[in-house]
Amino acid sequence: MPTPTLLQSIAITLIQCVLVVLFVFVVVPLTVFAERKVLGYLQQRLGSTRVASGHIGVTGWMNRGMWKWGRIPVLSYWRGIPGLVADVLKLILKEDIIPAKADKFVFFIAPAISMVSAVVVFAAISFVPGTFFVFPSWFPGLAGLPVAGGIADINVGLLWILGVASVGVYGIVLAGWASNSKYPLLGGLRSAAQMVSYEVPLAISLLAPVVLTGSLNFSEMAQRMATGLSAWGLVPQVLGFLIYLTCGFAETNRLPFDMPEAENELVAGFHTEYSGMKFGFFYLAEYINMTVVSALAAGFFLGGSWLLPFGLQGLVNHLLPADAWLAGPHAIFFVAKIVFLLFTYIWVRGTIPRYRYDQVMSVAWKYLIPLALVNLLIAAFVRCAV
Amino acid sequence: MFKNEEMEINLGPQHPSTHGVLRVKLRLDGETITHCKPVIGYLHRGVEKICENQSFFQGQVWTDRMDYCSAVANNLGWAEANEKLFGITVPRRAQYIRTLLNEFNRLASHLIWLATHALDIGAMTVFLYAFREREDILDMNEAFCGSRLTTTAFRIGGLREDLPPGFEKMARKFLAKFPTCLEEYENLLSENRIWKKRTVGVALLSADDAIALGVTGPVLRAAGVPYDIRKAFPYAAYSEMDFEVPTQTAADTYARYLVRMAEMRQSARIIQQCLDGLPEGPVMAKIPKILKAEVNEVYHATEAPKGEIGYYLVGEKGSANPYRFHVRAPGFINLQSLPKMAEGGLIADIVAAIGTLDIVLGEIDR
Repeated sequence: MPTPTLLQSIAITLIQCVLVVLFVFVVVPLTVFAERKVLGYLQQRLGSTRVASGHIGVTGWMNRGMWKWGRIPVLSYWRGIPGLVADVLKLILKEDIIPAKADKFVFFIAPAISMVSAVVVFAAISFVPGTFFVFPSWFPGLAGLPVAGGIADINVGLLWILGVASVGVYGIVLAGWASNSKYPLLGGLRSAAQMVSYEVPLAISLLAPVVLTGSLNFSEMAQRMATGLSAWGLVPQVLGFLIYLTCGFAETNRLPFDMPEAENELVAGFHTEYSGMKFGFFYLAEYINMTVVSALAAGFFLGGSWLLPFGLQGLVNHLLPADAWLAGPHAIFFVAKIVFLLFTYIWVRGTIPRYRYDQVMSVAWKYLIPLALVNLLIAAFVRCAV
Repeated sequence: MFKNEEMEINLGPQHPSTHGVLRVKLRLDGETITHCKPVIGYLHRGVEKICENQSFFQGQVWTDRMDYCSAVANNLGWAEANEKLFGITVPRRAQYIRTLLNEFNRLASHLIWLATHALDIGAMTVFLYAFREREDILDMNEAFCGSRLTTTAFRIGGLREDLPPGFEKMARKFLAKFPTCLEEYENLLSENRIWKKRTVGVALLSADDAIALGVTGPVLRAAGVPYDIRKAFPYAAYSEMDFEVPTQTAADTYARYLVRMAEMRQSARIIQQCLDGLPEGPVMAKIPKILKAEVNEVYHATEAPKGEIGYYLVGEKGSANPYRFHVRAPGFINLQSLPKMAEGGLIADIVAAIGTLDIVLGEIDR
């Protein structure tokens, strides 16, 4: 393998960034679409099937085309896809209203903070350990160079993830504050309390993998959690996974913990006064955060890029030949797990009601934090015993 | 060192969970409600005054538009109040059909209540499940009288037409599947921990308070008072029906949920009895083309899905219009209890309280 020149490493890094951002911006709209369709089917309706009000012009052409293709059974599910394009166009083209009494600068940067902190987390997430693919020898300029499975597989990956992700709460709090309106203010206050509270059990539940693996590097942790533990590692993994997932739901403001934007109480919560692409940023940030939480859960608890979750891969790997395809890591497994967890988000939303604000807090402090500490203790025992 | 300031906030008139145009002025200490004052009148059309300027036949159209979720129950009260005023006896078959349609309407109204109440608390799937069943009931309304929501189902003296062919089959088909649908809702809610956390002990209204405030309907029955006009002062064909009045004693939102769910089962029972025992005969009494009143006044109360709906009618000698018309709207009087339920609770609780009162602003503002 040739040593890359400076220019080549820059190019490779850029390619990695583009790949990851591409992944995010493909998965997020599809999640939005899946939310409509899955909720629809959960509720015995069809979800979105067309672009609204489109029987003439471009949208009419799209609708006719989609309905034609939709006659093929499997494709009928995708009939609503043009609606996504229409939605994005609407968000971009819509008038961007800034309330007269708003704090303009803060109002402006709040959605950017939410969005950036959500995307930047992906820097430390590696989709597959080591090399993702190697450029073929005919490729001009980059022949034979490897592209890694993540942007920056740094040794303090988990710290980076937790640190940057917790900046996201500022976006919401500042949005609530800067709108200079009462419902957003209530939403902002709720989110400040809620997200700060839930970060504690979330971080503690992620400490268990740290204790078990003795590392903070994402891909190393994922690898050890998937393949390097004994059967005893199963207990802290399952318990930790449940705690982590609960906190993740709260961190991303999804039902049953969608306090900051509880529609039926606070109209739209912190983003009530936002419109146009600024609102679009919050909207995107929520879905990107869901993807982040799913990616971490997949990486640490569900076996990362290996097939089996909860470290079971390590238990069965010695039964497989060392070079078996199923024994190794593959990005497709990682993505499949993320997709499944995203589905879980929608599934839960379709099933259960919303907690009350004080109950949300008591769930965090009275149940999740003690449980997370017990989980950490179990992890420590497992670590010492093994 | 710290200054405590209460925040005043308007819940409504445009708000996702005030069921129309209710406006509630809230004073908040943090998230706790210290003061709550419902403000109404955004949907006021002067129904009572309009009816005074129209003939007795025409008034019913306006009763549709009061509580538009239970138009049939409003129609029934109006028709019977007029029949009382003019001393008309309605044929027995018409009585049965009225009872039948009224109970279907109770189901539709309770389904809307369940749907919106659950949605307010965040359970969005129940919303669409309940609307699915309500759709069938609206289809039956359509089969019977052509319209789905504002039915104008009855006429003074009976019915305009008999049940259409095929109606009984539709009704029986619905009854056959409805119990499983109820179970479906209950599976999603009854033992759901979050649902219980949000409803048990929330928006309490004791029996004494409820009686003092004039609250009727499921809210009163959930406080342990078995007062149901269908049993207490039977009208239509209810005296011939075998049904129970479900009550609970907890007087909270969850108890009201249980009462309404049980009421839906009882309604299905009544519908079954109506279908099985439907007598033959005419559906319209002989009445003059124009009804001219004597000096007379009546008050007729019926059990609408939301509580006691009473029609007070005063006749003027020789006039084809009522001299005075007043509606005792259950939603209006039940809404009085909102401050009692909500004060001291959290913002999320007032949403549950509004939902559990099952208000329709068309009826409150009239």
